[in-house]
Amino acid sequence: MNPLNLLSLEWKRFSPNTTFRIVALLYIGAFALVVYLAHLIGGSLNINNNGQSFNPTADLFTYPKNWELLAYIGSWVNATLLGFLGVFMTTLEFSNKTLRQSIIFGLTRFELALSKVLAALALALFATLIYLIIGMSSTILSHASPGFSLPPLTCLLGFFLQAFGFLLLGMMTALLIRQTALATLTYLAYVLFVEMVCRWIFYFSVAKTRLLLFLPDSALQSLTPLPVPQAAQQMISSNAALLPLSTLESGLAALLYLSLFIAILYQRLTKTDL
Amino acid sequence: MPVLHVQHLTKHYGSLAALNDLDLIVEAGQVFGLLGPNGSGKTTLLASILDVIRPSSGTYTWFDGKAGPHVRRRIGALLETPNFYPYLNADQNLSIVAGIKNVPQTSFDSLLELVQLKDRRRSTFKTYSLGMKQRLALAACLIGDPDVLILDEPTNGLDPEGMIQIRKIILEIASRGKTILLASHILDEVEKICSHVAIIKNGKRLASGAVGSILSDLPTVEISAAQADMEKLLNLVNATTWIKKLQRNGTKLSMELNAGHLPRELNQLAFENGITLDHLVSKTRSLEVEFLEITKS
Repeated sequence: MNPLNLLSLEWKRFSPNTTFRIVALLYIGAFALVVYLAHLIGGSLNINNNGQSFNPTADLFTYPKNWELLAYIGSWVNATLLGFLGVFMTTLEFSNKTLRQSIIFGLTRFELALSKVLAALALALFATLIYLIIGMSSTILSHASPGFSLPPLTCLLGFFLQAFGFLLLGMMTALLIRQTALATLTYLAYVLFVEMVCRWIFYFSVAKTRLLLFLPDSALQSLTPLPVPQAAQQMISSNAALLPLSTLESGLAALLYLSLFIAILYQRLTKTDL
Repeated sequence: MPVLHVQHLTKHYGSLAALNDLDLIVEAGQVFGLLGPNGSGKTTLLASILDVIRPSSGTYTWFDGKAGPHVRRRIGALLETPNFYPYLNADQNLSIVAGIKNVPQTSFDSLLELVQLKDRRRSTFKTYSLGMKQRLALAACLIGDPDVLILDEPTNGLDPEGMIQIRKIILEIASRGKTILLASHILDEVEKICSHVAIIKNGKRLASGAVGSILSDLPTVEISAAQADMEKLLNLVNATTWIKKLQRNGTKLSMELNAGHLPRELNQLAFENGITLDHLVSKTRSLEVEFLEITKS
């Protein structure tokens, strides 16, 4: 079947669903709200040093760090709301037994897997579009960096890959667990603290190694790193184990994970009983 | 040309064999009943041939393997309970099915009329009664005018009126020359609807063929005579070579006649030996009796 037809079927399945609509709106709302609050708080920060007043976050609101900051803020809504959407869309199909029904009605298993990957791809593009719209609105409205700017390509690509990655991670978790509550809990626990706690335990008790940053959540988060002031960067650079992943490293790791998630999704949808 | 050819199909769940080296052939135009007690493997068989579950071994072929990769678009199927998106209405759900089957998204008026759901087409699926859900599933099965219909326990959980409605719809579909594969544990249903039947138990096919051939064509004959003649009658019947499975039930004798012999010959035989029968009944065995006999082992 034509990929566009598969995508149109996914749209027919989910667009009327209330939870799907609420989470999509929440994604836009939460993203915009946090960006607005960051501008509001960042713009009003003032530190007095030897009689001189300055804003320590001022450079975060100038190009290109404004786009990096925006992508960093977006990474949290990607990890939580977008990933949850991936879990929800998949477990909804299991709880209603509509995955198997689609096969019964004549969809091939390959088409079923492809339609899920295409749905994740479309939602990742939607998220990237929201990132662009919010970013352009905020750069136009910003007091610190007035005027129109487009994001650096690395930010845009990084944000897209990250959104795609969290959606696929959510879908993969749901395909492995199948129950909505348990899959949601497992997914959110993993991206919010399980991996981070494990990483720090390993870091402090086993080995201080950068390899831990290549774990799935860390690698995806590394695609949109928090822009840090120059002084802090110098401090981090002095400790090799704290050195964040480079753009190339995080990009390659993310591509690897995306391939792995798609492979698992394909395996679960084509080789197991539905 | 066989519509479906199943060869040595086996499905294991751990040590349990849900299907055990099962063979089956369904020809075009047959209304084929899969009969078996609960847990006999009927749904596993249907789920396997619909690619919902993966068989452990064995093969199946639709339309002699000549229908191409989208063979299942020529099949309409209802497996176990009807599964639709609960927040979508009848039209929206049918539109998804039409999209999957790659058929034009025309109006579903005639289908909804056939299953008597036209008035409720705008209601969401979750508000439907079980009977309405089953009828919507039947409508979905018919989208794209499939060559084969697979119906798994289509009257399960319905009240008598709902059962009659569903059976009427199935018979109406069968009259259009469609091949129907119907799984049921309700013998009466299979006997009323199907032309052919396979009896399955513990994942094995115990018998299959035309319903008429599964039903014994040898009638059971029941006779009795005056009390004084009963002993003489018993000896006479015992000595007759074309009578088998003789049983004495109180004041009556029941038996089966070998092929080619008729109950009136029994009456004649008794009369020639000076016995007047005061009771002679010929009974055809029901599918229920055959089913119980076949599956009791």
